[in-house]
Amino acid sequence: MKERNWNADIVGFILPVLLFSAWYLMTMEGGVPAYLIPSPSALVNVAIDFATGHEKLTPYAGTLLVHSIASVQRVLLGFGVAAAIGLPLGFMTGRIALARESLDPTVHLIRIIPGIGWLPIAMVWFGVGEGTTLFLISLAAFFPIYVNAAQGASSVSPLLIRAGRMLGANKMKLFTTVIIPAAMPSTVAGLRLGLGISWAYLVLGELTGVTYGLGAVMMDARMLGHVEMILVSMVFIGLFGRLSDMILVGSFRRLDLLKEESEQ
Amino acid sequence: MKPLESTNLFANSINKSFSTPGMDSSLEVLEDIWFHIMEGEFVSILGPSGCGKSTFLNILAGFEEPDSGHVACCGETVKAPSPQRAVVFQSPVLFPWLSVKNNVRYGLDLRKEGKKGTEDIASSYIKAVGLDGFEDYYPSQLSGGMQQRAAMARALVLRPKVLLMDEPFASLDAQTRYSMQQLLLRLWEEYRHTVVFITHDVEEALLMSDRICIMSKRPGKIIEELPVPFARPRPLSLTGSREFSMLKNHILERLMT
Repeated sequence: MKERNWNADIVGFILPVLLFSAWYLMTMEGGVPAYLIPSPSALVNVAIDFATGHEKLTPYAGTLLVHSIASVQRVLLGFGVAAAIGLPLGFMTGRIALARESLDPTVHLIRIIPGIGWLPIAMVWFGVGEGTTLFLISLAAFFPIYVNAAQGASSVSPLLIRAGRMLGANKMKLFTTVIIPAAMPSTVAGLRLGLGISWAYLVLGELTGVTYGLGAVMMDARMLGHVEMILVSMVFIGLFGRLSDMILVGSFRRLDLLKEESEQ
Repeated sequence: MKPLESTNLFANSINKSFSTPGMDSSLEVLEDIWFHIMEGEFVSILGPSGCGKSTFLNILAGFEEPDSGHVACCGETVKAPSPQRAVVFQSPVLFPWLSVKNNVRYGLDLRKEGKKGTEDIASSYIKAVGLDGFEDYYPSQLSGGMQQRAAMARALVLRPKVLLMDEPFASLDAQTRYSMQQLLLRLWEEYRHTVVFITHDVEEALLMSDRICIMSKRPGKIIEELPVPFARPRPLSLTGSREFSMLKNHILERLMT
């Protein structure tokens, strides 16, 4: 078993190593000029400088923390709003016929409009920057959270519900102690999708013009010709996205809510 | 007529049919079933597959409503499921996100009994079904037989008036089934709860019950009720005796017709 995993790890490293080598070769003397693709070492230096600020390589030296906090806050707030609305509505849609009939058609109608399509009207309503970003994140993250919570709640095994009822659960208890836990695997999948989308729409919103935020750094660096900073910001957004996903999944594991369904 | 005060659960003139989509006629599943069980009695309902015996149990449990007829438990009409009539299903149907201990505690916690007491009661029932040491395991980590033990503890811990069992051992292998039968009988000797036991296995019914109700093919109808004359405890060797095989043959003949 161990050996197999080890092999799989090796296989997983082949492509990144090849890509990295290709990148390195491209940026060598006489290759692609640095204003299109900076070399790996330049990128690493700029990234470290972005975090620590002691070399002052770019105007953004030492500002990683400020921009990251701004971006993370927006994601948390936008995602939080999406989850706070999407989860209860989703669970209700999944279990209550009246909620499903009154909500679902409208939600799916709105869902067909791509999130990016909301950008112009959001800018009219909320102005450039903060408000638009939060609106776009909440809107885009809402749909996968809602749809998956509803799907999870509606596909709870009827036997589990019978078991809960015969053990004495009333309607409310049945919801909190059987339906929601049983719907968790699907619900968490929806939350993860929503969180990923939150990061995507964060960048879109921040591109419209905010003072702080990794998306703002990217746009600003493009205008000032700091190509390395664009790439460095992309890397940090990727890292934060991955990290937030790990924290989300980890916290649900901790709550013991992600036990694999047995074959019942 | 048996005296009414010791009758635990009864069903009078139960009829049930299911409508099939796209067809005018409906499928008649149960026809005029009369059934009663006394306190502490162990009664098997024996019938071929598809005869509606599980539907009948679902009606006793309150999961389904009969088209006509009346079910009452301890003087109250059955309208919905209740811990008074705890059910052990054919599959364990444990909550996969709860440990064995929390599955067993589930019904007690809903009753909001004292926390200390709950813990002790739950662990005594876990011990009674032979799962001590597995309290913190999750259902998916247990074998089918062990899961069914946990399901039995979860039902018994509520001290139900009647335990309704829907072919609880049908999906287990022969050895596990035998040890589960022995366990159920031991628990029954100890707690003396009333048991309605659904099965299609003639030997199982003869080894376990005080009385057997034989159901016909669909539409299900109780065609014969017979008391099981053997003294308890009944060893497995009983199955080789003449009287046992005569009774078994008689039941098999009734099932065929």
